[in-house]
Amino acid sequence: MSLDRSYQASFNENNQEFVIAGKLRPRNEAEIRPLAEALDAALGKVRGTFYLNVKRLARLNNVAFRVITNLVSQVCDKRSDLRVEVVTSSVMGWSTRKFLPLASRLPNVSVNEYDQDFYPGQSYLEEGGFIPILRAQTKLTWTHERHVLPRHGLRPGMAMADVCCGIGDFAVLVQKEFSPASIIALDHSRTSLDYARKVAADFGVSNIEYVYGDASEMILEDSQFDFVTCRHSLQVFDKPELILKELYRICKPGGRVYVTNEKNSHCLGEPRADSIQWTYNEVARLWADYKMDIELGPKSRRFLIDAGFEDIKMDSFMVTNLDGDPQGFADIIQSWENVYAGEMARDRGDSPEFVAKFRQGFQDHIYAALHPKGYAGWPIWAASGRKPL
Amino acid sequence: MSGNRPLVEISMGIEAFASEWLHCDRISSYLARMVSHNRADSLLYANLLSSALNELLEIAFAHHGPEGNFCCRVSRSGEADVIELDLPCDAATLTFYSEAAQRLKRPDVAELYHSALFSPGSADPHLGLLEVAVDYRARISIVPDNGNRLKLAAEMALEGAAA
Repeated sequence: MSLDRSYQASFNENNQEFVIAGKLRPRNEAEIRPLAEALDAALGKVRGTFYLNVKRLARLNNVAFRVITNLVSQVCDKRSDLRVEVVTSSVMGWSTRKFLPLASRLPNVSVNEYDQDFYPGQSYLEEGGFIPILRAQTKLTWTHERHVLPRHGLRPGMAMADVCCGIGDFAVLVQKEFSPASIIALDHSRTSLDYARKVAADFGVSNIEYVYGDASEMILEDSQFDFVTCRHSLQVFDKPELILKELYRICKPGGRVYVTNEKNSHCLGEPRADSIQWTYNEVARLWADYKMDIELGPKSRRFLIDAGFEDIKMDSFMVTNLDGDPQGFADIIQSWENVYAGEMARDRGDSPEFVAKFRQGFQDHIYAALHPKGYAGWPIWAASGRKPL
Repeated sequence: MSGNRPLVEISMGIEAFASEWLHCDRISSYLARMVSHNRADSLLYANLLSSALNELLEIAFAHHGPEGNFCCRVSRSGEADVIELDLPCDAATLTFYSEAAQRLKRPDVAELYHSALFSPGSADPHLGLLEVAVDYRARISIVPDNGNRLKLAAEMALEGAAA
């Protein structure tokens, strides 16, 4: 029996998108006739632009490539009104290069490497300038999470994945404290991964694999991790349910997925509470304008249940100026101000008056953090769910 | 290739290898994952290497001598990895690979590949080799051995190739 149906194909008429995922290495055309018939039928139904989505097609041999491209070529030759957009992903490595010659041959075919559309505001957060903030944040949150993680099921010897690992410092801390058997740490920022590899090398940590990948379309195989973490990241995506679907997929049955998220409007401080409150309410609105939900924290339970998880556990903790060096807390707030009231507010077109008031709230939060009698807080929700057996 | 650091090797009778099409996919996936573990981005590297190796294995699956040992070996030469297929060879097989070697030397090999990708009718039997040479920028050598065996080697530096 040579037929290996390890691919999935589906057509969504609403967005005229034909999605092929998995592995497509048939011996002959007959083995993928159902796929060819479905693609042919889909091409016959559409007007305008047809999207051929191969973002999650990990493997493709030439037999299958020729079947797909022959069908597309035949339809494009007959229908000059039709546009075909092949959507590839840089995560797979080969697919853009493989499909580009099709666009060279046919004027109504284009090949687009999907990566940025899914992350509407993330470019503000993932470039190199944000690294000091991320380091400071992890340092402060770790004082809480090291106590929270065992309650959510993290144990020595587990196979773990840290999705959206950023600069990888959380993975290093977990490795030191909990000794998992292995950690695969995945992120979509090459800048962050380069930094993460350097940090791991500097600390002599060798059993963390840092890999480039798209959290919503991971190249990782199904059901292979006991514990999957995804911290401060669902809130960055406009479709968090897609990420959770992937986290669910790569988690072993009986394993757990652990997520942390914020509710920024609940950031607080004394003195100057009103100004601080106003600014963080505006932070939530700013993020929403960039299609990100910095208020997601308390919604984690619903998201996990809707994704199919059971035995949901929730914790919340307040990172404060009393967790360590108050200046570290103040530095985080300053870096938030720099990004939110800087580039993001400017690109949204905010007035100078608004930006001045917006900045004042951050400065008041810093004032509260450094005040000898002050208190400043940043609340975080940690949630986890078990994948059913 | 001498001087390379051997990484991993799979050896079996050619009849066993050619008895099951899925061997191409499984061997390429397994070997690629094994040799990629210490690359900077192991999954991306494995995906690229598997794609190239699978094309070579599919060609060996279709074009080989009737009996003898089949060996697939991966070794490392600096930044490059070298895939070597060592397979039994008869006259027809020798002709097939000799013709492939001639085409791979042509200065217009990229045009040959792109033309073969979309050729009407049956696929060009050398398509996979052309792809590995062009898309993966592999240095391919095909060397007959004692008249009844053949060594096909493809050397490619894939790190950073996807960026």
